[in-house]
Amino acid sequence: MARKKFEEEEIVANLLPVMNIMFLLIPALLMAMEFASMASINVSPPKFSSAPSEPKPEEEKKEKPLNLKVFVMEDGYRVSADGQQEGAEAGKAADSKLPTIPLAKAGTKLTDYDRYDYAALEETAKKYKLLAPTEQIVTISAEAKIPMQALIYTMDALTGRTCKLGKVQKGEAPPADCYFWQPVVEGGAG
Amino acid sequence: MTPDEQAFLAKKKEKAAARRAKPEEKSELGLTSLMDIVSIIVIYLLKSYASDPVVISPTAGQKIPLSNADSSIQDGIPIFVTMRGITFGDKKVVAMTPEGDIEDGAVNNHLIGPLFDAMAEEVDKAKTLGENIGKPWGGRAILVGDQDLKFSVLVDVMYTAGRAEFSEYSFCVIRKG
Repeated sequence: MARKKFEEEEIVANLLPVMNIMFLLIPALLMAMEFASMASINVSPPKFSSAPSEPKPEEEKKEKPLNLKVFVMEDGYRVSADGQQEGAEAGKAADSKLPTIPLAKAGTKLTDYDRYDYAALEETAKKYKLLAPTEQIVTISAEAKIPMQALIYTMDALTGRTCKLGKVQKGEAPPADCYFWQPVVEGGAG
Repeated sequence: MTPDEQAFLAKKKEKAAARRAKPEEKSELGLTSLMDIVSIIVIYLLKSYASDPVVISPTAGQKIPLSNADSSIQDGIPIFVTMRGITFGDKKVVAMTPEGDIEDGAVNNHLIGPLFDAMAEEVDKAKTLGENIGKPWGGRAILVGDQDLKFSVLVDVMYTAGRAEFSEYSFCVIRKG
């Protein structure tokens, strides 16, 4: 008996529907693509209390709040803790003449964002963090014309410029190089 | 016509007849290499796909501040505040003066009227939607500002957002490096 010759059939996959989907996916993904990596700084508005309440026994035991405030002025930073400005004249709570941290680049325009001494501010934050290790809140205020970029750099310096808070969002403990990362923005410094 | 020429013509005719008699070849496009390229592009784009819940597309000419912050953007309603105007919900609600201040008449005692109206409407919609899907409204405003934006404008926007029942704020920044 003659053996039936088996011929292999060549199957060619129809790639056109796949190609159609791929070509539709490209513009859709391009539209949703992140060209610059975005991040966010969570900011709290100032809190108001209508009437002082009686302190609870548990609250009394707690550490006294540091109440750290940083005012971004056109001539530098004024830093105060618990109502006392650092570097103020003896017997005065605040000094209207001299800033606590003067400008790093005096005489420059407000739009020169490097005019402030961020390194000195970070050092000051580090010093206060040693005094109050559990404190995370800092109140930031600025004069009306201070640009947003200077404010953001100020927040970065107060948080610690090497601080990475991404993992804190996922429930991890804050790293040791993070100082004051909960800014409260308050208006009316200038 | 010389015999050589006649022979040449006959040969030519033969060749043409042979060509016509040959069955037509089915030509196919080689799509494999194209598929490889497209697949690589799609995978690259999928990797760079914005995983944040809110996609921030800055308006023309807006310079978003730079920062060392690395916290991802949480779900919220973006407010675009540039040196030209304030945009909320794809609509420019307030124009700015050339000096970068809010134009006269739009702001009254820190409250930016047109922005407040737009925000209040959006808050109502978000609340209704939240009730329908059983997810409470977060009340987060994402402030997408400009590097040169004045602090006074920022405070006015925050105050207005607070009046429109937004309770949490985030500043949108571009990660450095």
